[in-house]
Amino acid sequence: MSGRLRSPGSAASIGQVAHLRVDPVLCDGVGLCALIAPALIAVDAWGYPILSNGSVARREFRSAKAAVAACPRRALFLADQ
Amino acid sequence: MTLHHQLRLVAPPSAQPVTKLLDGVVIFPALGSTPLVAPEGDDLSLHLMRYGDRPVMQGSEGLALITRMHDVGLTGRGGGHFPTGRKWESVRRAGPGVIAVANGAEGEPASGKDAALLQQRPHLVVDGLVCAAEAVGASECVVWLHRGAHRTRSVLERALHDRVARGLIEPRIRIELGPDRYLTGEATAVMQALAGGPALPQMARNPAVPWGDGHRPILVNNVETLARTAILARTEVGEYRRTSLVTVVNHDTRIVCEADPWEKVADLVGAHWRSPSGVGFDAPQAILLGGYGGSWVPWFDAAGLDVDPDALRSHGLSIGAGVIAPLPSDACGIAEAASLVSYLSDSSARQCGPCLFGLAAVAELMADLASGSMGRAEHRRLDRFLGDIVGRGACKHPDGAVRMLSSAFSAFAEDVHSHRTRGHCLVTTRAANSSTVLPIPVRA
Repeated sequence: MSGRLRSPGSAASIGQVAHLRVDPVLCDGVGLCALIAPALIAVDAWGYPILSNGSVARREFRSAKAAVAACPRRALFLADQ
Repeated sequence: MTLHHQLRLVAPPSAQPVTKLLDGVVIFPALGSTPLVAPEGDDLSLHLMRYGDRPVMQGSEGLALITRMHDVGLTGRGGGHFPTGRKWESVRRAGPGVIAVANGAEGEPASGKDAALLQQRPHLVVDGLVCAAEAVGASECVVWLHRGAHRTRSVLERALHDRVARGLIEPRIRIELGPDRYLTGEATAVMQALAGGPALPQMARNPAVPWGDGHRPILVNNVETLARTAILARTEVGEYRRTSLVTVVNHDTRIVCEADPWEKVADLVGAHWRSPSGVGFDAPQAILLGGYGGSWVPWFDAAGLDVDPDALRSHGLSIGAGVIAPLPSDACGIAEAASLVSYLSDSSARQCGPCLFGLAAVAELMADLASGSMGRAEHRRLDRFLGDIVGRGACKHPDGAVRMLSSAFSAFAEDVHSHRTRGHCLVTTRAANSSTVLPIPVRA
């Protein structure tokens, strides 16, 4: 299980409930996030991400972080709410 | 219709506090913010005679005002209806160095209430702005207007000049102008513009600091909200009168009036609306409530509704920006909805994909539905797109467009069926290509 994270910083990384969110102003619909975390992110008819609403499950945390890291527009982020 | 061309006798300050915002109605043309008919607006002397001096709202007085806001349930009148007292509390905690803004950039083309209020009662709005500044500890005051709002701007410039000349003790208040676009009055667009960026909506990553990390806190209030605040500052909770400024949309005019909470939609429509083709009162088939991103309500359901934010909320509706736009009995609601969504799509800030591409796609499909040339597959696509767009913009613009369309599908359900299966409208006797009823600004 990889829910425990080593990187300090945001509340999301110290084991609290985290939500995947996107800043739609920054997002250009590049689509890497949906390839990396298909269980969390779908794309709409125009290629923009549709995020699952709830919190990120522990077992999905690593792929959520990878999707965030891969976003070339820095539009995807993890938040407490 | 009754017009009050002359001011009523103004009560002396010692009498009961004046709790109304307007005397009579203000009539605007179909578009624009220069009125056709309006009573004389208040200058500073008349304002002071009518409402009395503005009470100082520093320290505990400011806190008491916030408590009174909670007590009377004051909510923002720009459309969002967020509790005003809660907004002030959070900005107050975020201070010092707050910028207090009176937002008079009325984006909704159907609405004229903010222009009417600023032109009739400029000093009441500015009183509210200064109360806000004192209560939250703001060091700067701004009135935010559309660049093209010439009449409003000249009234305000004169008002601000008179206040300085009279030596009122208050922060310097400046007017800032934004582009003549629908979304210029969106609160986060105002914040971004005052921080030196473009006047476009932005997304707050941290909802507690919508002005953005590292920026000065900004308190943005609609001008009607501030005028109500200025009245509340002068009254006790029991004396406060919960009215609403409403714009009734005719095909050639927009009539702004002040409604008491017990007045019904039918009262206002009966008093201020005439069907373009009707002789006498020809009941509309439905109304669009709130604004162009509001809800269509069949006349049968709408007529008996109280014109009051709380009463409407209890029916799952919102008074939004205070627009009541009746649809004549011989007009096609689907053609109106198609025309409105096309306008809303053109008015997108073009920043967020789901709004930019989604609303454009939906507008195209709605045009097909209006002309009766929509297939089954297109209908399914329209349904899916509407579901996909909601909640995915930085601001609520796309959500409003979807709300307007979804309510049209339910208010005009039979006619939607006819358009889709038989390819023609059940209602209208107008030519299919005739222009729609609700006014649509020409895109700048």
